[in-house]
Amino acid sequence: MKLRLFLFLAAISLVLAGAAPLRPARRPRYGGTLRVEIGAIVKSLDPSVAAANPEEADAKDELDELLYDRRSEDGTFAGAAGSGAFRLSAWEAGKSAVFAANEDYRAGRPFVDSIEVQMGRSTHERLLDLELNKADFAQIPAELARQATDRGVRVSASQPNELLALVFLKGRTATENARAREAIARCIDRAAIVNFILQKEGEPAGGLLPQWSSGTAFLFPTETDARGAKEIWSQISPSPKLVLGYDSADTLEQSVAERIVVNAKEAGISLVSRAMPNAGPPSAHAGSEAVRGDTIHVDARLIRLRMPSPMPRVALAAFIDVLRPLGGIEASPLPENASSEDIYNDERSIVSGGRVVPLVWMPQVYGLSARVRDWKQPAAGESWPLADVWLDSMTETH
Amino acid sequence: MCKWHKPMRRLPRLFFLLATIVLTLLALTGGPSRAQSALQIPPDWNKALDSLADKIAAAAKPAKTFSLNVKNISSLSGTDVAGLREELVADLAARKFRITEKAPSDAQLQLTLSESADDYVWVAEIRRGDTREAVMVSAARDMVKNSTSAGPSITLQRKAIWEQAGKILDFGLVSEAATDRGSILVILEPDKLSFYEYRSGEWQLTRAVAIGRARPVERDVSGRINLPAGKAELPDVECSGNFQHPETVTCAGAAATQDAAFITNPIVMQERTVDSYAALAPVCGIGPLTLVSGPGDWTQPDEIQVYELKGHEAVVSGPPLKFPGPILALWASEDGKSARVVSRNLQMGAYEASIVSVSCGD
Repeated sequence: MKLRLFLFLAAISLVLAGAAPLRPARRPRYGGTLRVEIGAIVKSLDPSVAAANPEEADAKDELDELLYDRRSEDGTFAGAAGSGAFRLSAWEAGKSAVFAANEDYRAGRPFVDSIEVQMGRSTHERLLDLELNKADFAQIPAELARQATDRGVRVSASQPNELLALVFLKGRTATENARAREAIARCIDRAAIVNFILQKEGEPAGGLLPQWSSGTAFLFPTETDARGAKEIWSQISPSPKLVLGYDSADTLEQSVAERIVVNAKEAGISLVSRAMPNAGPPSAHAGSEAVRGDTIHVDARLIRLRMPSPMPRVALAAFIDVLRPLGGIEASPLPENASSEDIYNDERSIVSGGRVVPLVWMPQVYGLSARVRDWKQPAAGESWPLADVWLDSMTETH
Repeated sequence: MCKWHKPMRRLPRLFFLLATIVLTLLALTGGPSRAQSALQIPPDWNKALDSLADKIAAAAKPAKTFSLNVKNISSLSGTDVAGLREELVADLAARKFRITEKAPSDAQLQLTLSESADDYVWVAEIRRGDTREAVMVSAARDMVKNSTSAGPSITLQRKAIWEQAGKILDFGLVSEAATDRGSILVILEPDKLSFYEYRSGEWQLTRAVAIGRARPVERDVSGRINLPAGKAELPDVECSGNFQHPETVTCAGAAATQDAAFITNPIVMQERTVDSYAALAPVCGIGPLTLVSGPGDWTQPDEIQVYELKGHEAVVSGPPLKFPGPILALWASEDGKSARVVSRNLQMGAYEASIVSVSCGD
């Protein structure tokens, strides 16, 4: 009894200890509408209807994740639409959607009452709406994270989980020469790409897995060696003229390709960049002619590889699946109990083959309004956890 | 002159005697020091280091002398790093390798303590001239480890008890003394109450009581285990029975209530609202004490700070105890000497149950 009385008195004393205005409590609140803006134009939420482009496919995947409770083993959505945390309450194809909280969701009703999604919003519009507090949540390109922060937007960046790499396409005479590939790989200034193009929102990549995932990325060098590149290239006779392709719709890829061309020129290497229409991320179109560079001649191309899982073995296996048809990379799948050393040896074997040149690791970056609480960056391969987000009623919106 | 000579002749003898005493003392104190640091390393880490030493030995041949440099790029503490270095040097010595601080050595050994998404990764690079070879081992992250904050008066200690992927609402430990078998760990989850018994050095599931509901559970559901009362309470369910005998425990629906025992009333501390706190009994004459979680939301690392109540004032006492994710539940134990803490490790995504206790002294 004495102890309980004492504890009670202690609590009372604590209450008396503070007299200043309250800051928001951290216990979640239910209610409100989360305003989301996306760049993609989603024509249909039906999982069986194919998306027109990779951007739509990614956005559709995120929206379907709200509607469906689970996925099948093959990754397709299972169950009925509305079995997930939200139900579709309004839909205007390609323009907007409203998702209402599912009161009966097995993992608990989401905190927000609804989510309003505006589609087809450009990067500029998304940034502006975040700045003006007209949007609560929008994905923004990694290279614009610093600019967004400078403009007062609340920014949330994931661990770097998207690799930008250069792949020498298989079957090209010019890049069958391993010394030519090595010369290009050596001349690339990764630090400059990170510092100037990505505005320091990323890190140089020497391996196929990031340090936080594999723990061994530090063993792969990322320094530039322009002198070595020049020396190697001077020994190649006749020296080939190479074409580096990039996705014409991807401004980041274009900037990086142009930067690599400058690096190559400094090393005396003959390399030009060329836009590839409808190239898209190879994960979705690995077999397409555009991705392979068949429709427009390129010897090498830039690709983005997003990790499907934080687990290094799983991520490496997925990357190999994409790289195999492009660069002709050969690697056997690792067993489930593969050790860190096994994974490192596989990774090293692929990188030292010179068919793929890792360039930079980039995070996923999101802009959030001040009232969004409990937003947790999705891990690699996870969807936006919007059912866990709640809105702070003490933060006003405009 | 002679008066000078005698002491000069004695000086080497005295020096020799003094040196012998000092060396003997060092040797005597050196032993326990090594044993002490080795004790701090979990057995699994010892095995991993042993394996790493084997790999180094195989890769380094014919080198016999190394210069060793250790770099820590993981979340390991300085104490752990020192312990690991010491252990590796001992393992290599057992394989007839010698670590030297002075050049020349046969090879350079660079030990990098790194970590991957799920394990520690310890990499040894053996450098000889232009050649470099890397060997590595993985080691499980140490779960049950005291995280001690140094301080002149109050020290917080965390003992991790359990971790799992699924949400934990509360947990309880029934000591061996209270049962006719081993210790029992009770884990309260939104949809079940699980009982684990400590057998053969690990917790083994002995019973799980399903919690049925007519309606889906609230997303921010909370709950509490009250071992002396033989109860586990959630807003709409109550489980009761003798927790020393899990087979007697049953769960049934209960009327939803807003003022249940597991909902703490927020208090105001240092200009902020706190809804996660635990009042503890004085320790070594210091107190009453209150443990308070940090101000962040559920997406941020958290901490527990001790406050000492002096009159009507709450005064910070000692450094905070850091957690790699939000603290989701904080309850004082029945004796008021420690607190149960449920937290979420943001790096791993796992829910963790730990006991935080307060002690005094450095």
